Amino acid sequence: MSSKDNTVELLQGTLDLIVLRALTTMGSLHAYALAERLAQVSDHPLSLNQGTLYPALVRLEQRGWIKGTWQKTANNRDAKFYSITKAGERALAKQTERWRRLSGLVDKLLLES
Amino acid sequence: MSVSAGRRFLLRLLTLLRSRRAEDNLAREIDAHLQLLADKFMAQGMTAGEARRAALRSFGNVAHHKDLTRDMWTFPSLDSIRQDIRYALRTLRRSPGFSVVAIGVLALGIAGNTAMFSLLDAVRLRALPYPDAEQLVVLWGNVMRTKLERRGASYPDFLDWRAQATTFDGMAAGDETRMTLSGRGDASRILVETVSASYFPLLRATPAIGRTFDANEDVVPEKIAVVVLSDAFWRRELGGDPQIVSQPLVLDARPYTVIGIMPPGFRGVGDRADAWIPFVMSNSAQGLAQRGSRGFQVLARLKSGMSRPQAQAEMDAISRRLEQAYPETNEKRGVEVAPLDEELLGEFRPALRALMIAVAFVLLIACANVANLLLARSEARQREIAVRTAMGAGWPRLLRQLVTESCVFTGIAAALGVGLAAVGLGLLLRTSPVTFPSFVHPHVDVRTASFTIALSFIVGTLLGLAPAMHSRVARLSDALKESARGSVGRRARFVRSALVMSEVSLAVLLLVGAALMIRTVQQLVAVDPGFDPDRVLTARVSIPRSASDPSSTGAAPLVVSARTLLDRVRALPGVTGASLVSDPPLSGLDSAVFYTAEGQGVSSAQTMPRAYVHRALPDFFTTMGIPIRYGRTFLDSELAPASGVVIASEQVVTRFWPGQDPIGKRIKLGPLASTNPWLTIVGVVREVKYRGLPENPTADPDLYFPFIDRSQQVSLVIRTATNPVGLIGSVRQVIREVDPGIPVFGVFTMSERIADQTAQSRFTTWVLAAFAAIALVLSAIGIYGVMSYLVAQRTREVGIRIALGATRRQIVRLIVGRGTLLVGSGIVAGAAASIALQGVMSRLLFQVSILDGATIAAIGVLAATGVLACYVPALRAARVDPLVALRAE
Repeated sequence: MSSKDNTVELLQGTLDLIVLRALTTMGSLHAYALAERLAQVSDHPLSLNQGTLYPALVRLEQRGWIKGTWQKTANNRDAKFYSITKAGERALAKQTERWRRLSGLVDKLLLES
Repeated sequence: MSVSAGRRFLLRLLTLLRSRRAEDNLAREIDAHLQLLADKFMAQGMTAGEARRAALRSFGNVAHHKDLTRDMWTFPSLDSIRQDIRYALRTLRRSPGFSVVAIGVLALGIAGNTAMFSLLDAVRLRALPYPDAEQLVVLWGNVMRTKLERRGASYPDFLDWRAQATTFDGMAAGDETRMTLSGRGDASRILVETVSASYFPLLRATPAIGRTFDANEDVVPEKIAVVVLSDAFWRRELGGDPQIVSQPLVLDARPYTVIGIMPPGFRGVGDRADAWIPFVMSNSAQGLAQRGSRGFQVLARLKSGMSRPQAQAEMDAISRRLEQAYPETNEKRGVEVAPLDEELLGEFRPALRALMIAVAFVLLIACANVANLLLARSEARQREIAVRTAMGAGWPRLLRQLVTESCVFTGIAAALGVGLAAVGLGLLLRTSPVTFPSFVHPHVDVRTASFTIALSFIVGTLLGLAPAMHSRVARLSDALKESARGSVGRRARFVRSALVMSEVSLAVLLLVGAALMIRTVQQLVAVDPGFDPDRVLTARVSIPRSASDPSSTGAAPLVVSARTLLDRVRALPGVTGASLVSDPPLSGLDSAVFYTAEGQGVSSAQTMPRAYVHRALPDFFTTMGIPIRYGRTFLDSELAPASGVVIASEQVVTRFWPGQDPIGKRIKLGPLASTNPWLTIVGVVREVKYRGLPENPTADPDLYFPFIDRSQQVSLVIRTATNPVGLIGSVRQVIREVDPGIPVFGVFTMSERIADQTAQSRFTTWVLAAFAAIALVLSAIGIYGVMSYLVAQRTREVGIRIALGATRRQIVRLIVGRGTLLVGSGIVAGAAASIALQGVMSRLLFQVSILDGATIAAIGVLAATGVLACYVPALRAARVDPLVALRAE
């Protein structure tokens, strides 16, 4: 993966967090909508080929944190829609808390000392 | 992230195994995705082609993303384990020194365990080359004398057992004898088993050619001379000619018709038979009818579903009935039902079990060493582990990673170990003084390798747990702080010290065990056999009878007198003395008789005096170096059948005539009431270890009768001026010159016969000493490692001490003192544990106690090695430059 100066490289594990978060706020989404959503919310363009989502989706689905079903889109195309599960919500809460602690610590170490 | 070729291959393989459905689903999903993207671009005004290309661009490399996605399909745990393995291999490569030492040490331990397990596995129950071997038992005719003694069976007893017992599927009499094969070149002696017809079906052995005995050939008066040959004998002596079946073979000057050839590998229960003849051929009808004449083994097979205790209970009942029916011969006679595998392999088991325990100790020591190395490394990795925890790696995940890591290198060590074991086992067996039965083939195979694999995973898990337990205490904040070492360091030091202490204790056990075995062998070798075994050669000859007149009753004369042979041998240069005896010491040819001492009254079956009898020429005692205590040896005039004289060993005198002059006292063979003539004691010789070292199997004395030149079976004992081995050729030569029909066999020096008696102890000692040496080296490495670590940890402290004026000597004393404490407490614990050792090893030891000088010396060696291992790091500490040390942090 090449990194350019103006892109933010995703830390491992954070993509999962972002996907879960998007699915809680937006309800069920297919991969394309999810990619568009991520591009929308980030001011910086994430160094994210849309295809990058797929491993994360499979991973999350295998953990039982999200669930995918085939449905029709608004303009009548077949797509797999993902929605967050109960376990996914619990995991999101836990991971978010963890992330807060770590980023707080990193902030402290980087900015204060 | 690049996907290595190997991994890609593995993934392809896994993908093949998965259903096509996931693959189709993914393709469909990505297609839909691309469509949606294209829709968007077309809505922005692109042409269909442009939109498609733009969609692909913004999606990224489809194949690559599919690949990465397929990655996720593998079972998640499997996938991360693979990741861990890759990570572990990388870690190993990063510190090659550590890896080589740790893997080498473990490989050594695993190799030892694999080799010993292969040996132990080779003598397991299933090693017997017979189907359903667990049902096979030996029936011993036991007798209750002052203690329980094992005897054989008599033919009438055997027939009664077989007729009355219901718990057996079959019962066969079996004995071993040597016979002279003649009529085919030089006469040779062959080993023949005399067996019942049921013997072969009992062992589930079927002949390769022809048949085995039938019921007619098993009946007493009808003696039908037939013989079944072993494959090896048939190929060796008869060139593997199948036409030999139904042809005669001359054994002991009598033609036997060959009726069958056994398949290769079948050597009979004795594991060395050349041929088999019907049991009833082994004795005359009168001989077989004597219930009191016992001497052969009975082999039996339990009915399936019958247990040995059930069979034992039935045989007990049968013995009681026989005792009532025949009190004369069967008083206090019982039957012991003993498992066959214990009879054949039992002698090897205790020693191999002890060695297995010893080598397990070696592995434990190796593990302690490697655990220490891992601990040291895990301290260096505290920060890495803490960061990983912070990044969301769960505790179980970390644990799994550490365990996977150690399993990876125990796995490598196991692979090396199996190879090493295969080589080592071969070497061990080639140099072993112990001969295993022909059907025992210790080798490294799937069974033993799976033992090794299981072992290495157990070891790997334990090793992984050690640093994991210790990382657990590490708190993120502590670990991220550069100098936070306090509590973690102390705890780690304790764990490491404990490991080294246990290492030292185990090494003490091994060294003490080895020392006890070495002393045992020394004691065994030092046992005075009662004769002088140096430079003595023994050889057996079997003199054929001349076949001149087969119709005449009574035995035909011998072709040559044994005295003639003796004279020829005596004339050989280098021979300082030679004599004739029925059976030389330690030859296993004993035969016992009951006797009665004059004036001693009637004795019971339990106390009836028994002795082993030998026939000897007058100069036998001087030739063998057996001192005469009272009286004299035989006179030449007494070398006649009814001379009425006997020479006894000292025990006869101490039992019946203590403090009296034994010369002129009389004994007779058999009970007082027998009609045997009284025999006068003309000499008393020293008690000899005639039947076994370090002790005779039973404490019975020996009786010597004058040698009569009538016996076919004679042994020469030859004392030589130089190494007797050099004379073997010329002895064979002079006998062949007299008559090529006289087979010479059983040629051994007395020293060889004695060495045979101690072979197993020497083997055990040798292997145990090797294990102990490895243990010593490993624990020295362990002590050295921990002390070096300690010194490194305390560099700053040492620097301060030096800066404050401590002398180098004081520093060395400080470090060595601490090491000595460690080694000392390990030794104390080990010494305490080794008190239990004597009990465990009692079956292997002979006349040594745990408080032997050798065991104390062994502990001393360990202590010295331990202190020495502390010295190097201590000297390093003493050279610490206080300025450098204080600047270091």
